[in-house]
Amino acid sequence: MNLSMVQHILGLMLLIFSLTMLPPAAVSLAYQDGHFQPFLDAFLIVALLGALLWFPVRRARRDLRLRDGFLVVTLFWFTLGLAGATPFLVTDVPDMSFTDAVFEAVSGFTTTGSTVLVGLEGLPKSILYYRQQIQWLGGMGIIVLAVALLPILGIGGMSLYKAETPGPVKDDKLTPRIAQTAKALWAGYLLLTAVCAACYYLAGMGAFDAFAHAFTTLSTGGFSTYDDGLSHFGSAAVEYVAILFMLAGGTNFALHFLALRGRSMRGYLKDAEFRAYVGILAVLILVVSSSLYLTGRYGSIADAFRHGAFQVVSLQTSTGYVTAEFAAWPGALPALLMLATFIGGCAGSTGGGIKVMRWLLVFKQALVELRRLIHPRGEILVRLAKRPVPDRVINAVTAFFAIYLMLFGGLTLLLMALGLDQVSAWSAVATSLNNTGPALGSVASNFTGVPDSVKWTCALAMIIGRLELFTLIVLFTPDFWRG
Amino acid sequence: MNLKMVQRILGLMLGMFSLTMLPPIGVALAYHDGHWLPFVASFLIIAAVAALLWLPVRNERGDLRLRDGFLIVTAFWVFLGLAGATPLLFSDQPVLSFTDAVFEAVSGFTTTGATVIIGLDHLPISILYYRQQIQWFGGMGIIVLAVALLPVLGIGGMSLYKAETPGPVKDQKLTPRIAQTAKALWTVYVLLTAVCAGCYYLAGMSPFDAIAHSFSTLSTSGFSTHDASFAYFNSHAIDWIATVFMFVGGASFALHFTALRNHTLGVYWRDPEFVAYFKLVVALIVFATVYLIVTGVFPATLNALRHAAFQVVSLLTGTGYVTTGFAHWPGALPVLLMLITFVGGCAGSTTGGMKVMRWLLVFKLGVGELKRLVHPSAEIPVKIADRIIPMQVVTGVAGFFAIYLIVFGVLMLLLMIIGLDQVTAWSAMASALNNIGPALGEVAAHFQNIPDAAKWICIVAMITGRLEIFTLVLLLTPAFWRR
Repeated sequence: MNLSMVQHILGLMLLIFSLTMLPPAAVSLAYQDGHFQPFLDAFLIVALLGALLWFPVRRARRDLRLRDGFLVVTLFWFTLGLAGATPFLVTDVPDMSFTDAVFEAVSGFTTTGSTVLVGLEGLPKSILYYRQQIQWLGGMGIIVLAVALLPILGIGGMSLYKAETPGPVKDDKLTPRIAQTAKALWAGYLLLTAVCAACYYLAGMGAFDAFAHAFTTLSTGGFSTYDDGLSHFGSAAVEYVAILFMLAGGTNFALHFLALRGRSMRGYLKDAEFRAYVGILAVLILVVSSSLYLTGRYGSIADAFRHGAFQVVSLQTSTGYVTAEFAAWPGALPALLMLATFIGGCAGSTGGGIKVMRWLLVFKQALVELRRLIHPRGEILVRLAKRPVPDRVINAVTAFFAIYLMLFGGLTLLLMALGLDQVSAWSAVATSLNNTGPALGSVASNFTGVPDSVKWTCALAMIIGRLELFTLIVLFTPDFWRG
Repeated sequence: MNLKMVQRILGLMLGMFSLTMLPPIGVALAYHDGHWLPFVASFLIIAAVAALLWLPVRNERGDLRLRDGFLIVTAFWVFLGLAGATPLLFSDQPVLSFTDAVFEAVSGFTTTGATVIIGLDHLPISILYYRQQIQWFGGMGIIVLAVALLPVLGIGGMSLYKAETPGPVKDQKLTPRIAQTAKALWTVYVLLTAVCAGCYYLAGMSPFDAIAHSFSTLSTSGFSTHDASFAYFNSHAIDWIATVFMFVGGASFALHFTALRNHTLGVYWRDPEFVAYFKLVVALIVFATVYLIVTGVFPATLNALRHAAFQVVSLLTGTGYVTTGFAHWPGALPVLLMLITFVGGCAGSTTGGMKVMRWLLVFKLGVGELKRLVHPSAEIPVKIADRIIPMQVVTGVAGFFAIYLIVFGVLMLLLMIIGLDQVTAWSAMASALNNIGPALGEVAAHFQNIPDAAKWICIVAMITGRLEIFTLVLLLTPAFWRR
C-alpha cells in the first residue's frame, strides 16, 4: 500500500482541479455578473489544500499497485465532490447550506443531475456555467474510470471481457496505460462535445446555452441552466439533437475512438453490447410512445414519438433531462422509465446504471439455464460474439447484481425510515444509485423539500453507484489493508 | 415426450383429488350447515373428468422422461387449481364469480393465502374447512415437488447440491424415487400438523379452529377461518405457537425427516442453509422489535417482541397470517417485511420466495468477488460447509435470479397498466410470486377490490412462483417441445 503516492496523486488532482475555478471566473468577467470573487477564493482555497497534500510527498515516485487504484479512485470522487462544493459555499447567490452545497457538487461530479436549486434563471451566469462544467469534468473522469481503470481492477465482471489490450493484463503497473488511454478518449469526448454544441447552436440555442448543455449531454449528466430543462426551448430540433448526443454519451467511448481512428461506423454494429443497447432503447421507445399515443396523452404520433423517445433515451442513459412531466404520465410509464434507469448505458460510457453489458450477460445466462434444463448433459456455454464467456465473469456479474439489489433495498428502507413515502424513497435511491437525476413523488423535479439526512444518503448513493459499488465496498474489507 | 403417460397420471391425480371432496361433506353433515350438496356435485364432476382422462390411456406403462416431469408438475397445479374452484362455484355462500373462485382455489393450492372473500366468520363450516384443506394438500404437493422433483429436474441450481442421494442422479426414471421420498416426508408433515393442532387446542382454540389453522400453518399458507386472521384470538400463547410452527414449516422437511429418524437435533445445526435461515430470522426479529418499541407502536417489550416475531416469521416463510395491520406500521417496516418475502424459507420447505440457499450462495459469491479484487490471481472457489459448489450450480442460481426479476418486473408493470397504483402493484405481485398472501396498499387485507384482469395476472404469478418460475417458462420455449 503506497499511501504516500496516493497522497501525491490526490494533491496533484486537487491542484489541477483548482485551475478549473478559473474558467468560471472568466465567465463572470465576460458577463459582468459581479460574481468573480467567489471563484477566485475557491481557486486559492483548493489550490492551497492541494499544495498542502502534495508538497510533503512531492518526491514520491514509486509505481502504483493495483490496490492503490481502488483507494485513489474512491478518494478522487469524495475529495473532488467536497472540493467542488467550495464555490457554492463561498458565494451568497445562491445561499446554500453545507449539505446543499455538497449535494449539488456530488450530483454534478457523479453526473447524476439531481438538484437542490430552484429558480436557476435568476442565478449568476458564472454559477450556472460552473455547474455545467462540473458535470463535463465528471464525465471525463468516468470515461477514464470505466474504460481504463475498472477493467484492470476487475470490477463487477468487466475485467476479462472489456480489457483494451487483447489477453489478460500481466503487469499491475497502472500509470503508463491509463495516461495513454485517457488522452485518446478525451480527444473523442472533446470533439463530440464541440459538435454537440454546434448542433445545439444551429438548432436555435444561444451560444452560452449551447455549450452549457453540450457539457451535460455528452457527460449524460442532466444539469440545465433552466428550471424546466430542455423543454424551456420548446423545440423539437433541440430535443432531437439531444437524443442523438445522449445516445452517443451512453455508448462505449472506446467505440467512438475506434470509429474516429478507423473512420468507419462498422465498429458500432459489430459490438454486441451496442446492438443490445440500441435494441433495448428501440423496444422501450416503441412501448412508451405507443402508450402515450393510445392513452391520448399526446394527440399526434409525432408528438408521442418525440416525447417518448426523448424521455426513454434521457432516462436509460441516465442523463436525466425531462421535457414533460413524465412522473405524471399514465399507468405503468413512470415506473417503467425509472426501472429503465437500472439498465443504464454501455460499459465504458458516461452513463450510470448496471450497464447493458451485465444485463446482456445475465440474460444469456438465463437462456443457457433454460436450455440446460432440456439437455442436462449438453455442453452449453454463454457466448458473446461467438467467444465463450469465462465462468469467472458470470460469477462476478451475478455478485454485482445481487449486491446492487441489496443496496437498493437497504437504502430504500433507510430513506423510508427517514420519513419519505414509498414512491419517493425507491425512486430517489434509484436515481442516485443509477446517477440519473429526476425521480418520482416528492423528488420528481428537485431535491429541495427533503430532510438533510436524505440528501446525505443520496449523495453517498451517487458516489457508490458511480464507483460501481465494489470499488468502495472493497475498502471496507480487512483483507484489503493487509500486506 | 410421453403425452399419454402424462394424461394417465393427470387422470389419476384428478381422481385422487375428487376424493378430497368427501371430508368436507363429512364436515357439512357433522356441523349441520346444510352445505353438502356443492361438494357432492364437485366430487361427481371431478371424478367424471378424471375418468374421461384416464380410461383411454389406462394401460400406458412407459417410463417418464425428465421432460415429462416438467409438464406433469405444471399441469398438476393448473388443473387442480381449476378443479379446486368447483365447490366454490357451486356454493351459494359465498357467491363467487368464476374469476374469484379460481383465484381462491389457486391461492389455496399454491399455499399463497391471498383471499378475495370478505366475511369469513359467517361462511358455512364446510366451506371454511375446504379452504384450509386445499392449503394443507397444497403443502403436501410442494414438499414432494421441492425435495424430490425439482432437484432431479435441476431447477435453478438446486440440482447437484440438494439431491437426496449422494452424487448426481444417473437415471432418468422418476417414479420409484419420488414415491419413496414422498411417503417419508408426508409422514413427518402429518405428524407435525397433528402436534401443531394439539398445541393450538391447548392454547385455547376450538377443536375446529385448531385443526383448521394447523392445516394452514405447516403448509405456510395463511388462510384463516376469520377475517381478522390471528388478531381474532388476541392471545400471546397462540401467536407464539404459530410463530414456532411457521418457523418449522419454513425449514427443509428432509431435515425434519432425518432428525426424527435419527432422534437428533444436531442435523439442523450442521446444515448451513438452516443456520443462515435461523440467523436471518433472529436478526430481523431483533431489528423489528427495537423499531416497534422506539417508534412507540408497542411500548411494552414483550408485546413488541411477540408481534415482531410473529410478523417476521409469517412473512419470511410466506405464511401470511397477521396479528395486526402491519401495512400501517411506521417507516421502513412494511416494505422491509414485503422485501424479505423474496428471500423465503429453506429449499425443501413449503415456503415461497427464492429460498435461503440461493441467497446464501449469492452472498458467498459476493464475498468471493471482494476477495478476488484484493487477490486477483488467487483461486477462490465458492464453498458452503467446506464443500465446493460446482460452477453449474452457481450459474443455475444466477440464471434463476435473472428470470425471477424479469418476470416480477414485467408482471408488476402489467398490473400498473391495468390501473393499480405503484405500491399496490409491486406488493401484490411480490405477494403472488412469492406465495405470501397479504400485501400493501389496496390489497393489504384482501384481493377483492382489484379488477378481474389483475386477479388473473396474480393467478398466473402464484402458479409461476410455486413452480419456481423456470418450470413454466420452460414450457414456453419451442426447444422443449421438439423431439
